[in-house]
Amino acid sequence: MYCEVNEKERTGVINPIFTCQPCGAQYASIGIKECIGIVHGGQGCVMFVRLLFSQHFKESFEIASSSVHEDGAIFGALDRVEQAVDVLLMRYPNVKVIPIISTCSTEVIGDDIDGVVIKLNETLLPEKYPGREVHLIPIHTPSFVGSMVSGYDLAVKDFVSYFAKKGESNNKINLITGWVNPGDVTALKHLLSEMDVDANVLFEIEAFDSPLMPSGNHVSHGDTTVEDLIDTANAIGTIALNRYEGGKTAEYLQKEFDIPMIIGPTPIGIRNTDTFLKNLSEMTGKPIPESLVRERGIALDAITDVTHMFLADKKVAIYGNPDLVIGLAQFCLDMEMKPVLLLLGDDNPNYKDDPRIQEFEKNLDYKMEIITNADLWELENRIKNDGLEVDLILGHSKGRFTAMDNNIPMVRVGFPVYDRAGMYRYPVVGYAGAMWLAETIANTWFVDMEYKKNRETILNVW
Amino acid sequence: MDDLTKDRVEQLIDCIMKKCLWQFHSRTWDRERQNENILRMTTQILCDEAFDAKTLEDKCYWVDAVCLADDYKKKFTWLLGIEKSEIKLIMQEVKNRLDYLTITGSLNEELNDPLY
Amino acid sequence: MPYHLFKCSESIPEREKHSVIKGPGEDITSALPLGYLNTIPGSLSERGCAYCGAKHVIGTPMKDVIHMSHGPIGCTYDTWQTKRYISDNDNFQLKYTFATDMKEQNIVFGAEKMLKKNILEAFKAFPTMKRMTIYQTCASALIGDDIGAIADEIMEEMPDVDIFVCNSPGFGGPSQSGGHHKINIAWMNQKVGTVEPEITSDYVINYVGEYNIQGDQEVMQDFFKRMGIQILSTFTGNGSYDDLRGMHRAQLNVLECARSAEYICNELRVRYGIPRLDIDGFGFEPLSSSLRKVAMFFGIEDRAEAIITEETARWKPELDWYKARLTHKKVCLWPGGSKLWHWANVLHEEMGIDIVSVYTKFGHQQDMEKGISRCEEGALAIDDPNELENMEAMETLEPDIILTGKRPGEVAKKVRVPYLNAHAYHNGPWKGYEGWVRFARDIYNGIYSPIHKLSLLDISKDEIPTDVGFETQRMLSDVNLSDEVKNSTILREYTGEYDCIKGLRDKIYPEYLTKKVSEAV
Repeated sequence: MYCEVNEKERTGVINPIFTCQPCGAQYASIGIKECIGIVHGGQGCVMFVRLLFSQHFKESFEIASSSVHEDGAIFGALDRVEQAVDVLLMRYPNVKVIPIISTCSTEVIGDDIDGVVIKLNETLLPEKYPGREVHLIPIHTPSFVGSMVSGYDLAVKDFVSYFAKKGESNNKINLITGWVNPGDVTALKHLLSEMDVDANVLFEIEAFDSPLMPSGNHVSHGDTTVEDLIDTANAIGTIALNRYEGGKTAEYLQKEFDIPMIIGPTPIGIRNTDTFLKNLSEMTGKPIPESLVRERGIALDAITDVTHMFLADKKVAIYGNPDLVIGLAQFCLDMEMKPVLLLLGDDNPNYKDDPRIQEFEKNLDYKMEIITNADLWELENRIKNDGLEVDLILGHSKGRFTAMDNNIPMVRVGFPVYDRAGMYRYPVVGYAGAMWLAETIANTWFVDMEYKKNRETILNVW
Repeated sequence: MDDLTKDRVEQLIDCIMKKCLWQFHSRTWDRERQNENILRMTTQILCDEAFDAKTLEDKCYWVDAVCLADDYKKKFTWLLGIEKSEIKLIMQEVKNRLDYLTITGSLNEELNDPLY
Repeated sequence: MPYHLFKCSESIPEREKHSVIKGPGEDITSALPLGYLNTIPGSLSERGCAYCGAKHVIGTPMKDVIHMSHGPIGCTYDTWQTKRYISDNDNFQLKYTFATDMKEQNIVFGAEKMLKKNILEAFKAFPTMKRMTIYQTCASALIGDDIGAIADEIMEEMPDVDIFVCNSPGFGGPSQSGGHHKINIAWMNQKVGTVEPEITSDYVINYVGEYNIQGDQEVMQDFFKRMGIQILSTFTGNGSYDDLRGMHRAQLNVLECARSAEYICNELRVRYGIPRLDIDGFGFEPLSSSLRKVAMFFGIEDRAEAIITEETARWKPELDWYKARLTHKKVCLWPGGSKLWHWANVLHEEMGIDIVSVYTKFGHQQDMEKGISRCEEGALAIDDPNELENMEAMETLEPDIILTGKRPGEVAKKVRVPYLNAHAYHNGPWKGYEGWVRFARDIYNGIYSPIHKLSLLDISKDEIPTDVGFETQRMLSDVNLSDEVKNSTILREYTGEYDCIKGLRDKIYPEYLTKKVSEAV
């Protein structure tokens, strides 16, 4: 067997790949319109996540904290949640959806956020805000379980299961994007529109790339509405693009409302996009149009220009969100590259049962290592001390020093990317994403050739 | 205090409040110590009285005093035209006013915290 | 001085006591914003937690240390690569961060054993690193792990390593300031006095409350070295762990950010008799006065004067070039804790800027005393600001630029107010003479950006000027300038390098013999 899946041997983490669950829940919450979440815990759990989002998107997002201080940590802090909900409702008249997102501290002290939601629904809301539509949704995201990825998965499911309500069929599909960028949403919506498929895109974050307008609007937010969430129960099918970021929700909708589901594939690369279109077509009966054949052709034409001449046999290390990493690895293989190390940054026990990973194990003809519960030291240590040779790194900005210090070219993908401009605008999914990835990888490699004077002359006649 | 003295005290106080940091040390006892020593030395310098800053602590007050006195002399030329006794009087009023602003009249609720 | 209640905060009237407008002839005894009180939940305050105050602000700038957080992964991840505290040892503290990665079973059964394993692994991964700091988090505090005991055990087993433990969980206090306090006192109690430093000069200081943001510490260090003053330790930017254990041997504590580090100076004064001298490293006059004071303390004022003369001659014409173009520009000075008073008066005096508002997100009343005293009349002072209040303030004050944090800066951008990063700087360092010019240049480039001007145009309503192919900052800034200023042969724009720190690292300094040595000769 050429592909090995191993768990990191060390107990601790040196340079983490992921942050913790509450961040994922916050990421899901900012995808909802008229929603401001309250994170129940210390203030840092919000302040830093807001900073992280603003680093990645160069936008600010509204998330509140229950500001648990010393007394709350000792005596319980549910009064802080009650006050936070009231203060938020008083000062933000348009807010409808308020997830109460727990953290490690408030889970350890055992604050009953479900209980406080019941209490608020029975007292504060009818007494002080009669007639106002307010949804309080407890979301349990202890930081000592899973990672930001599972936090996102869980929050998406909690939102959908709170709202989904059977009504008339809406003839739409639910498309759960997973943890993507605005550019990905644009690319996905483009594919849907070409396929003439009406979809309920969850959680719709295209507007996170928000404009600087003469009117001075200042809040970036997602576009998924309460109505969209209610309507998820009425779809003709659900496609969750990412197994680990929305898969739970697809399963829930199938179980609860009998909605057929397809999980995956993450439509990264030509092949996965083909499959996605086939899935769309089967679910809706709509044919794949000529326009997409052409679009695919343009991407193939562009990718062909760079693959066997430049990308073939290049060794790649990839880290980040699991569906992204696996999708990228698959596409790299199609482009004749050799992903030699995949780092998945949490201890999700399901990775080894992932059919895509099992396919690597079954069919690969060179050595690839997949590390679970990984950190970035797994990469750097192999390069620095164990002689691992890598031609390219694909990953988010937190690994920038590993790339720089070891003189390895790196293409920024995933979340967060704060050391390159505007990367959230470019898709990695769909044919457009495949083309962008291939060309960006090639261009990054070219710059590296020139910078290192490494056969830079061959570009003269390309 | 007559209006002229009052005005002059205010000028001197404004200079401290805008340019200096030593009057805002952490606690009441720090501020008493700082105001007392630095303004005493500033007065002595303005009145050309000799003194010797021997200990590290005294030296530290002294450097703030020298800088303040220099600033005063540069900005407030009227200081050069008045009697030493009058300087002392004005500086005493400065001290009273500064103590009020930073200690006795201060609204800072942490001033009397027994710990740092 | 009237308290000010924002319209958006009428429903939380307790906010009224957190904001004042400095009225004519009024002083800080008539009204002072409340400070360092518990945050109002759900108000969208900008505050962080006591863990980050300890670990991220003060602990991590120490450069030769393995910085480990004992808790779930998030605290570590979130406080990693989100600040610009560089160091002259290739930024080890920026590049590597360590988490014990506490999981559910650790919460249930305790995490001390796992902590120990973690420590051993970290030292093994970085065999040349012999110093470590361990930071408690909310989770490890609540389950009651005795981090200190584990650290002691390790130090017993590995005599060549030394470990500092900081127990400052996120919930410990109203803001990050609680963490500043805890780590100051903890360092004092655990580490000061445990190393006898080598004294190489007659003039020995600790440089305290300086975090080497974009090289600030190295700029100031350059001045001290040129005067022959030994910086025994810097607390903590570019600072070395073992140097900081020897703080007790300094003759003077030179204190920059009193908000985050006055505690240790106060304790060093009480316990070791080392006096505390508060200084300003920002701005020509305050900096000159600060250098003069430190030099005078040691009786070497001629050395300070030489630096002041040289640096002022080199950089003042450049500062004044910007001052001529920034005069009466309105600024909201909205930093974290100390910069509101470091900058309030000197921005006005030396760049001609009008400070229309100051705020502090984690400051205490003491910071407001300083900040408000240094502001001109009419300034609006806000403690623990929240998002809606900031919006309201920006709408009413209409500042030309705002100096604040990264994320609030994004809010400002959307209402078309240019922002500069007050915590991490745009193109710093901003300390030192050259640094101050760099600051002026950053402000200038922010305010006079042609793109900023274009953002004010509504192409659906406004007249679109079609006769202009481009504009430069200077075309915008010089419109109303007198010819004398415009054509001045003395004033000039900034002429320094993109990186003004690199050159300092291998600079050779004059050798001043110590009294002991010169007497022996």
